[in-house]
Amino acid sequence: MSREHCLFRGCLIPTRLPFLEKASIAVLDKLGIDHEPLPGATCCMEPIGLRSMAMDTWLAVTGRMLALAERDGRDILTLCNGCFVSLKEAAHILSDSEARERVNLILSDIGLEYGGGCQVRHLLEVIRDQGRSKVVDLTERTLNAKMAVHPGCHLVRPSQILGVERPFRPQLLAEVATWVGADVIQTQDWPRCCGGGLSGVEEELSKEILADTVQEFRGGGAELILIPCPFCFVQFDLKQREGLPVLYLAELLAWSFGASSEELGFKNHRTRLPF
Amino acid sequence: MQRSNLDPLLQASLREGFDDLQLWRCQQCGQCSAVCPSYKNGGINPREVMERALTASIDLEKDRSIWQCTMCNACSERCQLDVDPARVITALRNLATEKGNVPAHFLSEARLFVSSGMAFPVTGLTKKLRAELKLEELDVGEDTIDEIRIIASETRMGRVGIEP
Repeated sequence: MSREHCLFRGCLIPTRLPFLEKASIAVLDKLGIDHEPLPGATCCMEPIGLRSMAMDTWLAVTGRMLALAERDGRDILTLCNGCFVSLKEAAHILSDSEARERVNLILSDIGLEYGGGCQVRHLLEVIRDQGRSKVVDLTERTLNAKMAVHPGCHLVRPSQILGVERPFRPQLLAEVATWVGADVIQTQDWPRCCGGGLSGVEEELSKEILADTVQEFRGGGAELILIPCPFCFVQFDLKQREGLPVLYLAELLAWSFGASSEELGFKNHRTRLPF
Repeated sequence: MQRSNLDPLLQASLREGFDDLQLWRCQQCGQCSAVCPSYKNGGINPREVMERALTASIDLEKDRSIWQCTMCNACSERCQLDVDPARVITALRNLATEKGNVPAHFLSEARLFVSSGMAFPVTGLTKKLRAELKLEELDVGEDTIDEIRIIASETRMGRVGIEP
């Protein structure tokens, strides 16, 4: 039985994309899921830049977050693939008592200790755990658009640690989208990358990777891209040249559950939404 | 290919906690490169980086290719010998960072993180959008930022020259 959650908002959503936070809260409220923010939360030291620079700092910083949630007797709910993989991989490493001992040596200097008892879940998993019939019952309207679902790398890889079945063709995002009546198109095996990890670092390469992925979606007849990650959101919404509209998982659900476009701040999208 | 005892990762593993990496398993099959989105678009060739890591021929002070990885983990997912190229690249980036070879974008992100606890700044637009959406103001408390500074000073982040 899973415990109550605290909400881990990350950095990108609350600072640059707060409308995604708004949509997430709307969905969690409808589903009756608690979303008190994690007190003392910081950036998760995302896996692309910050963890790449200092692995041991990352493990201590994520260990601190896990310890804070554990102290409150709660599990962590993330809204972002980056936070998800960062915290979940840390929890995996820190399930080993020797690794935990090393991190606790650092955490003792800030009066914390992690006992290894915090679970990390992505919003998508939390919605899945509510079950199909509850989501279907809450659905008031259905979006008429052919949708490409893009789970994003850090929702599905490394699959063993993240608990993903059939990582060459993960189904969960598509499945939950169909619960609210979405018309999901078939895409090729092997989930694609949005190129976001190179944004600001190798700008041209980042755009090439993005264009490659969008090309596949467009070729499959997509009219809209569904993503569960704010980094993918920024890539597809701000940097995509083809203009396919983009929806974040919680936006699709909140809208389907009856929230208005104004309430959800859809005007803040750069790509034009079909409603 | 002559595997080298000077393997930069082997040296690293003695002191940096990457001792569980199994780079020696690599048979240069190239599956990692076959699924790499960066390689497909002219960026890093992970098979070649694994080869250079094994032969100790990566110039950690200058190498650019290790920073052309999106960290999408496709290589590690596909690798059948558990070499985990993405983690090898993470280890190489840690070592390169220590030698000052790190993209400016990540360096400023790290500075922001250590000074504010966040990887993105709270701007006027942040405040305006949050107010419009009726979300409470963002505030990473000073105590929290102090805790991050303490952790950074005791770990690698404190040794890579990002302190103001």
